[in-house]
Amino acid sequence: MAAREVKKELFGRLRGILDAKYILTTEEQLKPFECDGLSVYKALPIVAVLPGTVEEVQAIIKICYSLRIPLVTRGAGTGLSAGAKPNPEGLLLVMTRLNKILSINIITQTAEVQPGVRNLAISEATKEHDLFYAPDPSSQIACSIGGNIAENAGGVHCLKYGLTVHNILQLKGFTMAGEAVTVGSGGLDNTGFNLQALIVGSEGMLMVVTEITVKLLPLPRHVEVMLAAFDSVETAGNAVNKIIAAGVIPGGLEMMDNNAICAAEDFAQAGYPRDAAAILLIEIDGSSSNVDEQLQTTREVLESAGVVSVKVARNAQERALFWKGRKNAFPAVGRISPDYYCMDGTIPRKALAEVLGYISALSDEYGFAVANVFHAGDGNLHPLILFDANIAGQLESVETMGARILEKCIDVGGTITGEHGVGLEKIRQMPLQFTDGEINQFHDLKAALDPANLLNPGKNIPLLKHCQEYRALAKNLVPNRLLTQQSPDSTPSDSSIAKH
Amino acid sequence: MQDSAHILQQQVQQARAEKQALVISGGHSKNFYGYPIVGEQLNTTIHTGIIDYEPTELVLRARAGTPLKTIEKALLEHQQVLACEPPHFSDNATIGGMVAAGLSGPSRPYRASIQDTVLGATILNGKGEILSFGGKVMKNVAGYDVSRLMVASLGCLGLILDITLKVIPATPAETSYVFKVESNKSVALINDMRKQGLPVTGTCQFQGELIVRFSAGLKEISIIKDMLNKHYSFIEWKKLEEQEFWSNLREQKSKFFDQNNSLWRLSVPADANIEAVTKQTGNLLTEWGGCLHWLKTDMQPADIFKHMEKVNGQATLFRSANMPSPENIFQPLTPSLAQWHKRLKESFDPDGILNAGKMYAQF
Repeated sequence: MAAREVKKELFGRLRGILDAKYILTTEEQLKPFECDGLSVYKALPIVAVLPGTVEEVQAIIKICYSLRIPLVTRGAGTGLSAGAKPNPEGLLLVMTRLNKILSINIITQTAEVQPGVRNLAISEATKEHDLFYAPDPSSQIACSIGGNIAENAGGVHCLKYGLTVHNILQLKGFTMAGEAVTVGSGGLDNTGFNLQALIVGSEGMLMVVTEITVKLLPLPRHVEVMLAAFDSVETAGNAVNKIIAAGVIPGGLEMMDNNAICAAEDFAQAGYPRDAAAILLIEIDGSSSNVDEQLQTTREVLESAGVVSVKVARNAQERALFWKGRKNAFPAVGRISPDYYCMDGTIPRKALAEVLGYISALSDEYGFAVANVFHAGDGNLHPLILFDANIAGQLESVETMGARILEKCIDVGGTITGEHGVGLEKIRQMPLQFTDGEINQFHDLKAALDPANLLNPGKNIPLLKHCQEYRALAKNLVPNRLLTQQSPDSTPSDSSIAKH
Repeated sequence: MQDSAHILQQQVQQARAEKQALVISGGHSKNFYGYPIVGEQLNTTIHTGIIDYEPTELVLRARAGTPLKTIEKALLEHQQVLACEPPHFSDNATIGGMVAAGLSGPSRPYRASIQDTVLGATILNGKGEILSFGGKVMKNVAGYDVSRLMVASLGCLGLILDITLKVIPATPAETSYVFKVESNKSVALINDMRKQGLPVTGTCQFQGELIVRFSAGLKEISIIKDMLNKHYSFIEWKKLEEQEFWSNLREQKSKFFDQNNSLWRLSVPADANIEAVTKQTGNLLTEWGGCLHWLKTDMQPADIFKHMEKVNGQATLFRSANMPSPENIFQPLTPSLAQWHKRLKESFDPDGILNAGKMYAQF
């Protein structure tokens, strides 16, 4: 069938299962869905659909499969790696109407939720039972659990409580052929291959998930938050390692440098010391006696590590205020710079000082200020490179600088992405982390579960020829979106900017 | 001299050329687990040693054939442990076998499973390729999570050459108590203890008694008794005196495990009604806050599998009294999952030479 006929057939069949208002086809209707949180990458799909039931989802998948139309699943659109960028020849499956918490079971301490449920909504709904859902990405007020599954989202508390993959029991959904599939069970262990681990973080490329059973944890009885200020980033970085080495696993252990501190303080008046080179926010939770013990140990470690000042939040309001500054660091930085580019490398904690020094040198070399905000306990860096996309060439320079930061992360034994995913943004850096054999195994694995290659094609795993091209050009960095990637649809817009 | 990984690689490449079935083995500590397949041995015990251990990073990387006891000893020197508290089942147990079997110990619901602790793996697939996935950092979402896919794959996807694990600080103290509670009340009690902030790290329900382990700092442990007095004075309870209780449970040396019947491992939701498979008394021991049952029974496997399906659980014939049929060991897969498994197997091991039939007869 010619493309036009396929499109006609597709629209006709969709109208057979969905109300017309949930089938978006005009440019005006599709524009809001052209990108996820990384707006540098954008494209309009043939059609975007908003199913309201699992049966509708299955029917849509079957239509796409029979017409061989690529399918990209989208949650709340808060992703930061263009994983949900529409395919210009495909259908965008928007899951936001599947937003019901189906059940909360206080005996098994689990909740069954639909993929469009917001992350924070789970903890809000389970609070009355003294339970919470632990993974808490900074976007948790808006991001959906389905997107969290796709990206294996982390957050402030994952050092102690784990990532999404550690907090999921069962996934129900469909293969690209539209067959129902259930991965996992109501128990903790499963027979067969460990498919939950494979699906979580697979960026919507292996199945479409329509129902998720998440684990819930008892809310900690007691929480304390410390604000520790340092006169050098290096001292703060070393203190992080010493805290962990002392046997303390904080609920959260976050670091911000001076640029981030000042931006956050201007925005949230959180009580951060503006003259500090770096601060650590350390949350200790557990039973009252346990928190007292760990707080004391942490205080001793900080003092031996050269802390300038330590402040423990006096009450819940002050704790919330301390966190408000951190959680709003991204928008706070957005106020001081027209645009920023957010990175997501993870490194061994011991390399924190070295990598921060390298970023600082790059900042001087490229002439872009950097605000560093990161999950220090996990070694997960989020350098925010400040720039102005309206100045010709700046965006390209920033992307090149970002690529160098990721390469440094690999050099010190880390990874190009800790929690934002590869998507399109980091696809070009994949060969830094993986050999051709490994990339090939990824392709074979994808083909095993999606033989027609229709689920979010072109993301996450680069084509081998592009890996070779990249290695050959490694010293002559070119931004990802300007390369002839396997996604010819990567059409950057002049006005698009990496603003989150 | 060739390195041991290369020797194993050559063995796989040669087996592939000759279409020779290979049986992966380590310390033979879990030979009873899975279908007893036959073939040429591919033994990891030539590939040993801790490659990297950085206590301040909480990360350890070791070759597959490294004895588990060597690793646990190295960790203890820095007051650290494996969070998944794996059973050894023999002195020869290896770290590769631990990952491939995917069996976690009593602390699993409260600390971590084996899959939770895995950060990265180097594998040798059925094509004879040496491939690395994951890494040594806490968060890593680049590419598909093949390292965690290896957990509990019983060598059907590849031989694990080395593994990188997240470790945790050892808790300074622990204490255990025995509560007179019937099994239908125990899950609610355990949940309440956790809600009260009690540091539960293991539970075992057997014949009207619930034994609970608490692990924490010295100060917190010293007030456990007061907390129990405060919250649970309406229940009869006493301190557990048996020193080796938890290691005997983990290693299945407790009296319960002396048996002639087949031993089943049922992984279920904590509220699952499993009365249909537990008609005799004394044939059931429950761990993991109600999520793991050990069942001694000679019931027909098909009946057990059917009931597990009803309660959204899964059964495994853990130790068989007789030679089991290959289809009667692990909970049968649904047709769509069976197809995925078969295709995944082919993507890692196209000639089906690695541990074929160990888990399911189809692959």
